[in-house]
Amino acid sequence: MSLIDEDEALIAAALNGSAYAWEKLVKRYESKIYNYGMRLTGNAADAMDLMQEVFLGVYRNLHRFRGDAKFSSWIFRIAHNKAIDMNRRKRLMTASTRVIDGEESDVLDSIASPPQYEPDTQIGEQQQNGQVLKMLSQLPMEQRLIVELKVYQSQTFEEIADMQDISVNTAKTRFYTALKKLKVVSEENHALS
Amino acid sequence: MPCPKTPHLLQEYFSDDLAPLAGEELEKHLAQCADCNVELEALLTSQISLQQWQDQQVPHWDRGLELFKREHRSPSHQIGFWNRWQWLPTAASFAMLTIMVFSVSIASSESGFSISFGGDDEITESVQELFDQLQQTQRREMAELVARVESRQDSNNLQLLQAVVDQTQQATAENMDRVYAFFEQQRLIDLQDMRVGYQQLVESDYETIRSLELLAQFVSYESDVR
Repeated sequence: MSLIDEDEALIAAALNGSAYAWEKLVKRYESKIYNYGMRLTGNAADAMDLMQEVFLGVYRNLHRFRGDAKFSSWIFRIAHNKAIDMNRRKRLMTASTRVIDGEESDVLDSIASPPQYEPDTQIGEQQQNGQVLKMLSQLPMEQRLIVELKVYQSQTFEEIADMQDISVNTAKTRFYTALKKLKVVSEENHALS
Repeated sequence: MPCPKTPHLLQEYFSDDLAPLAGEELEKHLAQCADCNVELEALLTSQISLQQWQDQQVPHWDRGLELFKREHRSPSHQIGFWNRWQWLPTAASFAMLTIMVFSVSIASSESGFSISFGGDDEITESVQELFDQLQQTQRREMAELVARVESRQDSNNLQLLQAVVDQTQQATAENMDRVYAFFEQQRLIDLQDMRVGYQQLVESDYETIRSLELLAQFVSYESDVR
């Protein structure tokens, strides 16, 4: 039985009330979603929140999954939407905190600025992941999402464009811009070290 | 001066579906253009750096199983034998109520059972009479009971009042004794103070007289000398 067929069998069983099938389905995707959250949010707590939100969304909408697309694409579309929602909420919270604190900085600054990563505390011994997170943190959310989908999910630009509701050329340009920015960051790091 | 083709060409380089002809053209340009080569190498290095990510282990969580189990709890256990008979007490209550409201009577005779609604007049009258008697008796007993309770309450109140008065009197007498003792003690202290005061006054007067005598002696001595 192929992985796709296995997914569909698990979904059918879960819809019939099998807790075992549900748990197996979650186990198959939790690591991918958690790591996706880690790379997008940069910290374990937010990644965990995102993962739980994603699976809650999957649970609530499982009956709507028709099997037209792969389950993995469907779950990552949910994850993508939840990540955007979470990012929006965090930006709003940051902006409102700054307004409450009486800072005179522009609200757009908080939107443009990437979240603060704490590779040492959040990732501990995984130095390599810390480096990746440091690089990703230099990208704005829209470019980070493209990099995530292209590099880690191996999606085509067409799929990315469809998911993000943008043109294929825009997706390509964003990916190229992101790599270019990472190149500059990498060069700066080398120069500092 | 950097190559003007770099952004467009490298953007195409990362495309999913680069046409063979375009690919050849790209390779040809890269073989000639050092700028594009350096830029491409740097971008590929960045991409490789990103690919160094190692999947992290998911912390323990319940995988939504609690929610799943709660919402998919099988309802079969609810349709048990006893659950099917839950309507029985309600039905019995309803039947009793109907019997009471419509005065249903069931009589058995040789020809079988008969059910009648509403009571017989004679029976109703005798029941009414009995009911009246019962009501009178209950009223009488109630009046007696109220009278007994009232008298007992009165005597209790009286006793209580007496006890309060006695206690108050006793307390007042004790208080008066204490006040009298206090005043007496105070009077004695005042007398003592007065006695001491007079004594001091007398001593002071004595001193004065002595001084005057000394002065008189001195004056008479002075006049004698002259």
